[in-house]
Amino acid sequence: MRQFKLYCILLASVAFTLASCRKEPLENKGNPNHLTCRTYSQQFETIWAGMDQGYVFWDRDTVDWDQRYEQFKPIFAEFDSRPANRPVTQYEFAEAYWGLFSGLLDHHLTARIYTPKGVPRGGCEVYVQPGMNDYSHPTDTETERNLQLKALRKRAVPGSLVEYNPNRTYGIPGSYFCLIPGAKDGELIAYFRFTNFFMVQMHQMYEYNSAYPDAVSAQAPAKKFYGPRYHEGINMEGAGYANNDSVVGIIFDVRGNGGGSVADLAPIVGSLAQSPTLVGYTRVKEGYGRLDYSAWSESWVGCPSNMHLKEPKPIVVLADVTSVSCAELATMLIKALPNGTFIGERTYGAIGGLYSGNATNIYHDLFYSGCFGDYDYFENGPDPYKEIYSFYIYTSTFHMVDNNHGDVEGVGVQPDIEILYNKKLLDQGTDNQLDRAIRFLRVGH
Amino acid sequence: MKHNRLPCQRVAFLIFACMTALLPAIAQSQPADTLAKAPVKHWCFGITGGIDRNYHNVDMVYMTDMRFDNYSPGSVVGLRLAYAPVSWLSINTGAVLIQKNYKMDHVFEYYNLRYGLTTSATNNYINVPLELRFSLGRKVKIHGFGGVFGGYWLSGHRTGTTYSFSNERYYDVDEDWEFNDKRDNRLETGLTWGAGLSGMIIGRIEIGADIRWYYSTSDIQKPYMVNLNPRYNTTVAVQASLSYWL
Repeated sequence: MRQFKLYCILLASVAFTLASCRKEPLENKGNPNHLTCRTYSQQFETIWAGMDQGYVFWDRDTVDWDQRYEQFKPIFAEFDSRPANRPVTQYEFAEAYWGLFSGLLDHHLTARIYTPKGVPRGGCEVYVQPGMNDYSHPTDTETERNLQLKALRKRAVPGSLVEYNPNRTYGIPGSYFCLIPGAKDGELIAYFRFTNFFMVQMHQMYEYNSAYPDAVSAQAPAKKFYGPRYHEGINMEGAGYANNDSVVGIIFDVRGNGGGSVADLAPIVGSLAQSPTLVGYTRVKEGYGRLDYSAWSESWVGCPSNMHLKEPKPIVVLADVTSVSCAELATMLIKALPNGTFIGERTYGAIGGLYSGNATNIYHDLFYSGCFGDYDYFENGPDPYKEIYSFYIYTSTFHMVDNNHGDVEGVGVQPDIEILYNKKLLDQGTDNQLDRAIRFLRVGH
Repeated sequence: MKHNRLPCQRVAFLIFACMTALLPAIAQSQPADTLAKAPVKHWCFGITGGIDRNYHNVDMVYMTDMRFDNYSPGSVVGLRLAYAPVSWLSINTGAVLIQKNYKMDHVFEYYNLRYGLTTSATNNYINVPLELRFSLGRKVKIHGFGGVFGGYWLSGHRTGTTYSFSNERYYDVDEDWEFNDKRDNRLETGLTWGAGLSGMIIGRIEIGADIRWYYSTSDIQKPYMVNLNPRYNTTVAVQASLSYWL
């Protein structure tokens, strides 16, 4: 009996001990998307916390974010302790934030950070884009595009090349269409180049706004090729090209395409398919923890019912390391088609879906992931173009994988046939990637 | 819900319903001298079943529009083993399959936009309690108990809606929970306590019903990050039992 009492006492002790074992919830320091930062330390803590809770790649990223906190907290604390006669220099400010963000997987990630509002002597500004280290050549520059255009002219059917550029007002480069001779007489290859995916968005702006006369006049040649509803993409019926029996293949060139709006995907790229295409899977954050994720959801790109390629024809997508974001989604889509082949080099690797552009970034407050900034910093009302944030972190809202659940962020889409960019040949007037695509469509391999 | 219901769920409900209905009737109808005497230094084994409601305790800090509410009732089914060294006290243990479900609603409104994301999670655990049970009474005994339990998170399933990026629309979710070794703490410990009624019916057969709390003291997440917001389960179960005293 005595032994039994001892057991009872022991059991009761364990119970009382365990009763107090629940940890306290975290202190509420506020939503990083709505905090005003007045010191270097506060700004660092807010940015670190925003990434800690809202960054969508923590399950794949190898950066030890807790270690980064320990490493950089003293640095920003030291910034705050500086006397007025020894302000933080631009170099120190930039070095600290480049160090904080270095190595992160998100290739959309762009941090624009200014001296906090409360610091009397500021003026520092840093623009951090860790993924830029992956840029290996500059095909998104005007010079490179012109060289590629020059090489394209040599291959195109004379008089068939048309530039479509309603975005000239904003300095956005144009897109091209032309026909290239096929293997036999009478056979043609339709070539489309999209240097951005702002077609639908820009059309909506221009169509109803006469303040853009240049852009409106620029629609004429586009209409000729894309049809009366060209803004919805490659109107196969209206143009009569891709669906024409004489067209035996299509080249869809997104080299140097920096991305754009997902609204372009279905009408432009989706029209190359005969039905909606499963491109991959996405998920968002669903809680406070780094690994609190929603379920994966299928990511389909629709196919316009009345304006798509009626019969599947061989399609080659040309892309390279300067194909970014939406251009990579377009590449994934065409690669996923049974009649699609990706020629070129791996894409940039900024594929995570991203919602931005709203002054208060409501999407961050919906998903608790993606872009965030200290909007309370505004003094004259919210206006994202005034760039008066203390910081603005441009990062993916969605984690995306391809349709085989393969990693693509920071990795890029891998080509079926790898043809590397060759600057020497291009300078000589030969686009080796374009030529390989033409040969593929003419020969079949 | 088509998936991951405990296999004995319907049996558990049936046992619970029958026994709670029978208990007062039997206690009133049978004279005291026809009942077996209170067991002393005897062993007892039996089955138990019932229903539960789980409360997923998590403070969402600033994510206040992300609400964790109780989900549809779960079920409990299991085995009971007891040892009574004296008539008023017994040590109880056993193993129960118990569901600890919850629902998360996230409704966000912005001007004319309204987003609603939901997740309904069904989680199956096995819990092994170790309790001291104090009894009072003769025909119908009132008992109170308290102790500890250990457990293991067997499986999970979630349904609901999430948002699909390129489709720009809601997407229905219906999938098994994919355990993440880095994130999910599948081992569980905690406290259990409760009270109930029991009575002997035929010979050495005892039926009982009780309400009990499974108060988990272990976070369902492993400490994989410094700023980890803890999540705990508190489960209230109403269970009936059918036992045999050796």
